[in-house]
Amino acid sequence: MIQLTNLNKTFGDKIAVNNLNMTLEPGKVMGLIGQNGAGKTTTFRMILNFIAPTSGSITWNGHPITQNDKQKIGFLPEERGLYQKLTIEEQILYFAELHGMSRSNAKSALTDWLKRLDVVGKATDKVQSLSKGNAQKVQMIASLIFNPEFIILDEPFSGLDPVNTSVIMSEITRMRDQGAMIIFSSHDMNNVTKISDNLTMLKQGQVVLQGGVQEIREQFGRTKVYVEGPFSLNELAHLEGVLNVNVQGAGFNLTIADDKTGHAIFKYVTRNGYIPAFSQQPPTLDDIFRQEVAHNV
Amino acid sequence: MSKQLIIVIKQTYRSHFKSRGYWLLVLSPLIISMVIGSVTYGISKMQGNTTPTIAIVGDPSVRTILKQQEKALDLHVSKITEAKEANQKLSNHDLDGVLLIQNNSSTLTTQPKSNTINKTALSAILGDLYRSQKASGYGLTAEQTQTLIKPYNLKTVVKQSANKSTDGDNSSMSNYGIAVAIGVITTMIVMWYASMIATEIANEKSSRIMETLLAATSSNIQYFGKIIGIFALTLTHIGLYVVVASITYFSFKTNAIVISLSKNFSGLTLSFSIYAVSFILIAVALYLVLTALIASLINDNSQVQQAVQPITFLAMVGYLFSFIMTSMPNNLAIKMLSYVPFISQSMMPVRLVTKVETWPSAIISLLISVFTLILLAWFGKRIYAKNVLSYSDDKILSQFVKNIKNKN
Repeated sequence: MIQLTNLNKTFGDKIAVNNLNMTLEPGKVMGLIGQNGAGKTTTFRMILNFIAPTSGSITWNGHPITQNDKQKIGFLPEERGLYQKLTIEEQILYFAELHGMSRSNAKSALTDWLKRLDVVGKATDKVQSLSKGNAQKVQMIASLIFNPEFIILDEPFSGLDPVNTSVIMSEITRMRDQGAMIIFSSHDMNNVTKISDNLTMLKQGQVVLQGGVQEIREQFGRTKVYVEGPFSLNELAHLEGVLNVNVQGAGFNLTIADDKTGHAIFKYVTRNGYIPAFSQQPPTLDDIFRQEVAHNV
Repeated sequence: MSKQLIIVIKQTYRSHFKSRGYWLLVLSPLIISMVIGSVTYGISKMQGNTTPTIAIVGDPSVRTILKQQEKALDLHVSKITEAKEANQKLSNHDLDGVLLIQNNSSTLTTQPKSNTINKTALSAILGDLYRSQKASGYGLTAEQTQTLIKPYNLKTVVKQSANKSTDGDNSSMSNYGIAVAIGVITTMIVMWYASMIATEIANEKSSRIMETLLAATSSNIQYFGKIIGIFALTLTHIGLYVVVASITYFSFKTNAIVISLSKNFSGLTLSFSIYAVSFILIAVALYLVLTALIASLINDNSQVQQAVQPITFLAMVGYLFSFIMTSMPNNLAIKMLSYVPFISQSMMPVRLVTKVETWPSAIISLLISVFTLILLAWFGKRIYAKNVLSYSDDKILSQFVKNIKNKN
């Protein structure tokens, strides 16, 4: 278990991370969200001992992270970097060896990884000949091939198309199912919702939300209603407790004052019987993110 | 040595050893030397017979003596003795020169396409003949004449501390050869490998590979792994040259050029050779450590030259001082510089072989360099750890000063 306790980091007068507490458990995925400059990468850099915290502690099963522990950490940096003139194989074997994996094991595992991540090209191809997406997948392989116990992924989906995004997501969930502790940052709330068990939202270095994804969403009440039927926008907007209405595809998205308003709206829209769709949901992570970012700005 | 350190050393060594750039670096001086050697050999062969032929007109006794001295003068004396015929042949380029012997002087006439005639040797023999004839005219005996014309012998000897003496002329040639060899080897290695290690570190830093590497290892392992890996490449490079030089020597040891070159190094002993090689290797290690330290301050590859230039300049300063030293070995500043790391490797070995310094002084100079290497490596690993993941807009020098002041 990784434990971050009362973690602080300042650069001169600037507070980068302010009293961060976080627990990462085996077989769980933690999503770390926040605007640019919120302190996500700084947190990762402190965990990896690239920079020292101003105060607070980071422990792995109760002890500070040692050099031996670092060999069990798989890290995908935000700014990708590979040796352009080396082949995929030379590169991966080097990184795998540094993490304590034998060259022969890494070599046989690489074939599976290249197939599973659908990397276009051969292991003997030079990295400089790869497309950006394939290079990114190679970097992902370098971070995960040695089956790390703890995985840190800084913006793992940036620059990937939807197909490659889902490939990477399935690898993350596979590693989670094998018992790895995973923390990742992303700006795509949809992806965060899909694969995170827990999330922490940082704003200017401060934790503004933390907990299970569904639990956090429920905290904000089921204030989002989607309805389809023979209604006009004006008609729905004038219902009591409706704060906002907008058209989405064949239906309407309503923002309502509280959970109970949903009952009244359901009665109203079904007064004549069947309607194709009615859904009352908590706000999405994206809505919450926007709301929290806008809050106190 | 930790397993990770060995992995980094092997990777650094392997990735360069397998690169085309490394072999270009190793082979290009050999190829250039072979090309120059072949061209020189080809030119000398194409030149054909270059021994000049001259006709001697005038005193037949002089002609007879010069005919006897043909080999020493490196010329042929033609059978022609008539001035008219000789001048005709000279005009037709059939002769290289016509020597007209007169009473108190001689005239050597040549044509534009003449092969080179050794005028100094010719003039010396004619001068001796002239003085002999005059001495005979004054009634001196043959023995007196010989004594009179014998050149004055000034022998140069270098007095050594242990009542041993060496031939002064040979020593100075040998010193010059050693100074050139040590200076060239150190400067060239530093120029090649300082640039290599700087590019390696700058590339890993600017492409952010360093973050992936440091997630698994420590900055110390990366720092020392790269230095040792590149150092191993320099040893391989030097080793290859030693093998090629040995093969060349044993294959061409009867060649005049090889004989004359090897004469320059005939005064070298095994202990001195070990000392000089150790000094070169310590110096190369010093320069690599310094370069790795400075390279950690580089933000991108475009700054590599900016970082490496002062280092290669420093290596060249030592090289230049080694030449000044051979002409003024007892100068106090030169003596002091022989103990200064980064420069001493070009000076102290030469001072030792010329017996200007004794073994204890030479060992002290080497130990100062070793001690500096340890200190610099320790200081360098701190600078490297601090900067290898930080990116600054400041210039390299101001970053370096900030690091020393510990304000970064």
